[in-house]
This record gives sequence, C-alpha cells and structure tokens, in this order.
Amino acid sequence: MSYLDNIRNFSIIAHIDHGKSTLADRLIEKTGLVEARDMKEQYLDNMDIERERGITIKLQTTRLQYKAKDGQDYILNLIDTPGHVDFNYEVSRSLAACDGAVLVVDATQGVEAQTLGNVYLALDEDLEILPVLNKMDLDSARPDDARAEIENIIGLDASEAPEISAKTGMGIDEMLEKLIEVIPPPQGDPDGKLKALIFDSYYDSYKGVIIYTRIFDGRVKRGDTIRMMNTGKNYEVTEVGYCIPGTVPAEELKAGEVGYICGSIKQVADARVGDTITLANAPTDAPLKGYKKAQSMVYCGIFPAEGEKYENVKDALEKLQVNDAAFNFEPENSAALGYGYRCGFLGLLHMDVITERLAREFDLDVITTLPSVVYKVVMKDGQVLDIQNPSNLPAPALIAHIEEPIVKADIMTPNEYVGSIMTLCQNRRGNMVHMEYLTKTRVQLHYEMPLNEVIYDFFDALKSRTRGYASLDYEFLRYQPAKLVKLDILLNREPIDALSTIVPEEEAMAKGRGICEKLKEIIPRHQFEVPIQAAIGQKIIARETVRAYRKDVLAKCYGGDITRKKKLLEKQKAGKKRMRQFGSVTVPQEAFTEVLKLDDGR
Amino acid sequence: MDKKRGIYIHMPFCVQKCRYCAFLSFNAEGSPRKEYTDALEKEIKLRAAFEKENGTDKPIDTIYIGGGTPSVMDISSMSEMVKTLRRSFEVDPGAEFTLEANPATLGRKDGVMLAKLQAYKFMGVNRLSMGVQSMDNDRLHFLGRIHTAENVARDMDIIRRKGFDNVNLDLMFSIPGESGDDALDDLDKIIAFSPEHISCYSLQIEEGTPFGKMAEEGELIEVSDEEDRETFHRICRRLREAGYEHYEISNFARKGDDPDAPSPYRSKHNSLYWNMDEYIGLGLGASGFINGVRYKNTSDLNEYLSALGEGRLPVAEEHKNTAFDNISEAVFTGLRRREGISYKDAVLAYMEADDAEERDPDSADDFRECFWEIFAEAKEEAFGYAERGLLIIDNEGLKLTEQGIDISNSIMSLFV
Repeated sequence: MSYLDNIRNFSIIAHIDHGKSTLADRLIEKTGLVEARDMKEQYLDNMDIERERGITIKLQTTRLQYKAKDGQDYILNLIDTPGHVDFNYEVSRSLAACDGAVLVVDATQGVEAQTLGNVYLALDEDLEILPVLNKMDLDSARPDDARAEIENIIGLDASEAPEISAKTGMGIDEMLEKLIEVIPPPQGDPDGKLKALIFDSYYDSYKGVIIYTRIFDGRVKRGDTIRMMNTGKNYEVTEVGYCIPGTVPAEELKAGEVGYICGSIKQVADARVGDTITLANAPTDAPLKGYKKAQSMVYCGIFPAEGEKYENVKDALEKLQVNDAAFNFEPENSAALGYGYRCGFLGLLHMDVITERLAREFDLDVITTLPSVVYKVVMKDGQVLDIQNPSNLPAPALIAHIEEPIVKADIMTPNEYVGSIMTLCQNRRGNMVHMEYLTKTRVQLHYEMPLNEVIYDFFDALKSRTRGYASLDYEFLRYQPAKLVKLDILLNREPIDALSTIVPEEEAMAKGRGICEKLKEIIPRHQFEVPIQAAIGQKIIARETVRAYRKDVLAKCYGGDITRKKKLLEKQKAGKKRMRQFGSVTVPQEAFTEVLKLDDGR
Repeated sequence: MDKKRGIYIHMPFCVQKCRYCAFLSFNAEGSPRKEYTDALEKEIKLRAAFEKENGTDKPIDTIYIGGGTPSVMDISSMSEMVKTLRRSFEVDPGAEFTLEANPATLGRKDGVMLAKLQAYKFMGVNRLSMGVQSMDNDRLHFLGRIHTAENVARDMDIIRRKGFDNVNLDLMFSIPGESGDDALDDLDKIIAFSPEHISCYSLQIEEGTPFGKMAEEGELIEVSDEEDRETFHRICRRLREAGYEHYEISNFARKGDDPDAPSPYRSKHNSLYWNMDEYIGLGLGASGFINGVRYKNTSDLNEYLSALGEGRLPVAEEHKNTAFDNISEAVFTGLRRREGISYKDAVLAYMEADDAEERDPDSADDFRECFWEIFAEAKEEAFGYAERGLLIIDNEGLKLTEQGIDISNSIMSLFV
C-alpha cells in the first residue's frame, strides 16, 4: 500500500454564511491540532475584516491528522477557499490542488447562487463532491428540501449526505468517515520530475514569500533550485514544510502532499497563484493548465486625506501589494485631490477589503473615489484605448464609440421576489437571458448586465429588495458598445475631476440630478451660495444650490466657562479637517464615495 | 502684565426653570439652599487659604453673583456669605459687584423690595443685572418666565429709587413666533428704562430642555438663521442710535460723557473673561482661571456638598494651560470684543505660560510676526475672511466686523 492512500486533499465549498469557516474550525478542533481554548472563533479566517463580515478572503491551509474507524491514520489536507465571486480564479486554483470537495449546504436555506458557481468550479477540476447538510441543530432546518434541491439543482446524490452541525459538532465524525470513503487519495509519482501547483502565497517578513503548494509529481527539499514555469524565475529553496496550521519545517515534500516552500522571494507577484513549480536542473515537460494573470475589473482612486502624507499611502500600498498579487496601483494626479494612486481590484469586495485594511492596519486617512470599470474607447483614427479613469476620457469629437464590460449575472431567489428583482435589473440596464425554476419556490435568473451597474451598490439593492434571500454570482462576459458620456460635477462653477463619472447617455440627466441632490445634503452650508451643477461637456443638465449659512455664533460665554467654549471650537475645527477644500468650497471627504450610493428605489 | 482678578459665585436655584434653560439650576423651593450657602462659605475659606499658602493671593477687582436666580436666596444667608467673602479675600474698595436678579423675585411688597435692595447695598452690590428677556406678556409666558412686563416696570422704578445707577437688562430675541418688529418693539421698551447696559442674545434651542423636545417633535418652529441675523443687525443699529456702545458680541453699554471714550458702564467682570484675566469660580459647576490653571467645579449638587463637608475643594476638572492654550484662548475670547485682540496681548499671553518657547519681541512688527508664526496654518483662511469683509486684520491685531459676528465661531475655530 502506498503512502498516498492515507492522504486526502480536499476543500470545503459553500455559499457565504453557510458555515464553511465554522466547519473548518470544528475539524481543526476535532483532530486535536488546536486546543479548544486557543480557538478563536473561526480559526482560518484570520483577518479582522473577514471575521466581521463572516467571509473568507485569504486562503489558509491546514494539515489534519485523523484516526479513522478502520484503525488507520489519515492525513487530511484542508485547503480553504475564498467564498466570494471576486476571487473565482483563486478558488479555482485552490480546487485544482484538491482531489475532492465537501459541499456545505445550509439545511435552513438550501442551494444558493454561489453554491452552484463553486460546484461548477469543482466539477471543472474533476473533483469528487461530498454534500453535507449543515445547521441541523436549528429548528428551521429542512433537510429533505435541501436534499431535494441538491439532487434537482446540482444533480448530486444527496441521500447519504451527512447531517451535521458545525456549530455544535454534531455528525462531524460521520462526515470524516464519509470523506475518507468518497474522496479519492491523490495520484502521483514521487520519483518523477517535480511538478507542483502554487495555490496560495503570502509574504512573511522573516522568510519572504511563503508558497502554499500541492505536489503532483516528484519531490522538493531545501537547497533545490526551483523554477516558476510561467514567470521563468529561479529561486533557491530555503525551507519546506507542512501547514499544521502555521509553518512546521519538514525534510521534503513529495508527490500527493500539500505544504509550503520558502525561497527568499520578495513579493507574492513572483509566486503567482496558478503557476507551476519545477526544478531548474530537471524541469518537467509542461506546466499545469489553468494559469491566468490577475485582471483588474474595478478601479478607483486612493488619495491621502487632508493632513495625511503621500509617502505613508505609498508605503502602505506597496506593503499590501507584496501580499496581494491581484492588487495593482499606479500614481495618479487629480486637480481636486492632488497626488494619489489609481488602484485596480478584482471586484468591489476586493476594493473594500484593501481600503479597510489601509484604515485599520495602517491607520491611514484616505479618500477613495467612485469605482470605475475599464472602458474600451475606439478612436476615430482606429486606436483603441483602455480608459478606467473618467478624467482621461478623450474629447467626444475624437471618439468613434465606447465599449463597456458586460457580465453574466446569475441571481438565485425565492420566487416571490422575482418581480422586484426584474425591475431592479431592468433599471440597471440588465437583459434577461433566461429564467428557470430550480424547484417550485426557487428561481434562477440569468442576466447580462453592464459591470458598471453592478459595482455601485447593486448587491445591497438586491439584498434589500429580497430581505437578504437573493444571491448573486457574476463573471466577465464581453465588451459591448454603449452610448456613454462623461458626467462632470461643478462646485461653485469649478469642475471637480474626482467627481466625474462615465454614465449611459440616456441616464445622464437622472444621475446628474441625483448626484446634485446628494451633494446638496452632504456639503455643509458656506458663507456664500454654492451652486452644484452637473454637466455634459459645456451643457449644464442639473443644478442645486447650497444656501449660504448665516449664523455661527455663540451669544453667551456663561460664567466664564472658557473651556467648554474652547471644546466646541475644537470640535468645529476637527470637523473641518475631515473636509476637503476646493477653492473656496469645503467638501466632506465622504462625498466622494457616498455620492453615487443612489439606491433610491431604482 | 498686571492682571485683574474677579470672583464668580454661582447660585443654582430658581423659582421655576424656564422652558429654554439648559443650565444648572434647581427649583428653589425644597432645595437645600441653606446647606448650599454654608458649603459656599467653606469653599470661600478653602480657596482663600489655598491662595495664601501659594503666595498667589491678590486683591479682588470684581465680584459677580450669578445663577440661577441669586435673588431667590435668603437675605440672611447671602449676607453671611458675603461677609465671609470679604473676610477671606481682599476686595478692592472700588470693586464692581454685580448681582443677577430676576424681575418679580425681589419682593412682592414695595417695602420688602426696598429693604432687600438696601441689604444688597450694604453687602456692597453696586450693579444689578435683570433677566427681563421680553416686554411682551405672551412671549414671557411662552418662555416660562414668572414675571410680566408690568413687574419689570415696577422693579426698575424701585431699583432706580433705591439709587442703583448701574443696571443691566437682558433681552432675548428670535423667540419662536416673534417677528423682527416684535423684537425691536421689546428693545424700544427696554431702552425706555435707559439702563446703563443691555445684553442681547438670540434664543438657542438646547437639547434636553422642554423647547428642545418640542422642536424635535415639530411643535416649535425656530426662527430662521436669516431672520435671526437680520434682527440682530437691526438691534445693533437701534442701540447705536440710542447711544449705546457695542463692545462685545452680545453686550452694549451706554456711553458716558465723552462719546469717544470707552463706556464706563462696560461689565468689568465679564471683561475679565475676554482679557485672559484671572477669576476665581465658586459654587456648583463654576469655572475659574487662576495662576495659569483652568478649573471647573463639580456639577453634582450632592458631590459638591459632600466634598466641602469633608473639607475638600469641589474641583472636578483642572487643566494647566500651555502657551498655545493661552494664545488660542486670548484670541477667541478677545475676538468677542469689538475692539478685537492685539498681536501684543495675544503673544504676551503666550509667553506667560511655562512652556513658551523663548521669544523676544519688542516692536509692534515683532509681535505681529510672532503671532503669525504661531498661527501660520490659519493665516490664509484668516485673510480670506478679511477679504470678505468679516474680519479686520491690521498692523495691531484682528477684530471682527459686525457681519463677522454672524459666523464668529468659524473664524475663532481657526485659532484653536
């Protein structure tokens, strides 16, 4: 019997909130790796933001030991996957490192859009799937319905799906037994040429980049010179080992195993997820399939807020990039906001994560501008420009036409919300491709929609219209010509470049009016009237006025309480610091991100 | 710089609380008024002893008893307290001694009132400040005041008869439902008493008051800022025409014989607050500024009484001013005065603090340069206000224009 027979490499796939992280915690606890008292809630989600949102963004991998009922010891390599549409590529590479997947379905909710999306990714990697029904401790669990959905919607046999509660630990042993039975052991030749998949990496300030890898063939040890087959770079291995979790050094890693490799690599972009590692002196013939370069879908400007140093922002962005190959940035100069950076992200969540980390981990005060997608601008002379910053849009006279990115959006919802979702999607320029009843009460809607419409609060709008029941999955489809114009905003007759947006021509009027109204709410009164105007080129299409404020005076200084008065003035001054000065107009920093949150029932 | 020094004493009791009032006061009936004045006497003694020990005791130039309504206090205990005050501190013979009083609280019978006023005279009170607020009975009732316009007329008559020749009357404007003309009408009636001093301020709706609650529930419609400011400027004009000097944001003093000289009726005590002078605060919630330290007494009546019962000063907060605190306060309090703040006074206030950087200005130019060095960050905006005619910046210093008063907080906040 080969050592391979006692290894299982698997992922847990689930919709957000269906209990993936809790299950991972329970497995770690069950297999005795971490004492219960050392367990933070959801051990694998180790970033604050993830913990708060209950989602996993950054991958973690853990080697578990389990003594099965057949008396054998098994190594279970749990490869965690991020649970959000922005990270589909990362999910797919993690799955590629596995031989099977545990599909967690919330027995109170049933199958959801992302469940399906992730199952398809797993099927594409040829993985055996073990469905399990979670949250069976809740009264609202309806396992029979959930089973029926798994069978009808996904097509998996769920009759033997273990019923578990990740929260209470119920049914976990049965699930582990089933896992060993259903998920096949890895294949591979330990004496072949090294072929290993990078499925994650992160930067450690002592060891450099730590690569998480699955070895398909061959073996690797300290002192070997490895080559990244797609980037062509060579590194000397300084350490290999297992993730138990954390990093525990080992002699070598060999075919079928999951572990980590260090090689004094300076940034994660040099050890890109999906790349294939081989030995420089005895390379394997061909890399593993499926490697993709990260592609930014959403862009926004990040500028130091008043009083924040440009260098601090630069340092922080560089540090984040070291650890996030999908994040990129370049300097940008805005007339309104000064020097800053144009940053590219996989999606909106990715953008939120980065901006939150800037605030929390680096304690930075930054202004983020409206997110934008990448437009293809076809010029009259035949040139095609990629434009993601509205300020860089060439003069309309030079443009033949503009193309915008279209995504395929799959929305799964209880049937009673279909009407309001259809209205929402219509208002967001969505085209319904088709609609299917997955069960009597669950519907899947397939839309094609401009990405531009998805990135502004679409997800929030969807959730609020369906009391949180609808789920969304989207992926890039194609570029498509559209009638788009640049909408400028003028404050006190001065254009503010950071507030410019690219919008569909037919909606320009309504959007312009909406933005003006919103700004009127946000901009405090000044000592003079501040006209707010929306314009297309020279043409003003909407206008609002912030009336001059007339009074800001404290009539009395009672009983000589100067300290109280001073505190009031200090507060006033501090309030002003959160503002940005444009000529003589003061604008609160939140204006730049708040302004397009226009979910006024559209 | 030879600093003046005053004493403020707080009397937190009223016949009833007005509906706009957010200040520290209790209904006089049923409150421990006697215990309070006893505790005050202890505080006076402790404070005086503390100053003596420090070697920082100095003569007192002004006394101000405010409230609340000090005139609701028993004359017997007031007089004891003032005796203790005079025994404990060296009060300058020419000191200004103000007592706040509300109309209709000085005695219902003429005889009682005359006797009460006489008792105040004995104590040394030489200035009365009356909370008239309005001369319209409907508005007075709406505000929750206990007096009528007729009460004011009668009180003023007796006060004058008794020989009080330095009287302030408070006027409140922008009362909900009141027009600018109504307010000017009130003002004319007040001017008709020819008080030496008039304080005018707009009603502020504060959270936690009955008015605040009404405003929240939409039952009270506030006078708009635009109307409020228009009325304020009309009031300023009218008072100027009537021979009053507008010497502080909300305060007007009748001119003396020399119309070009500062009015002799300016409140000396309140001027301490705007000149970075020293004052000792005594009583519940009172603030003081002495030897470079700002302090504030506890606002909890029981705590106040028990602290003094145990022989401790009832101080709740204390802050040693830094050089920047000093100059910043000098500027924002100084800007309340119409004559403004001079670079020299501001910089001298700065240099008084222990942590002041070594600076050695001796010419007017030096003071100016020094000032703008300290406030380099504020300079551009300050000059922006000047360009808009809200602030006057010259070689001597800065002052607000009458229009600048309307947004004085924005200007002052540049300097904190």
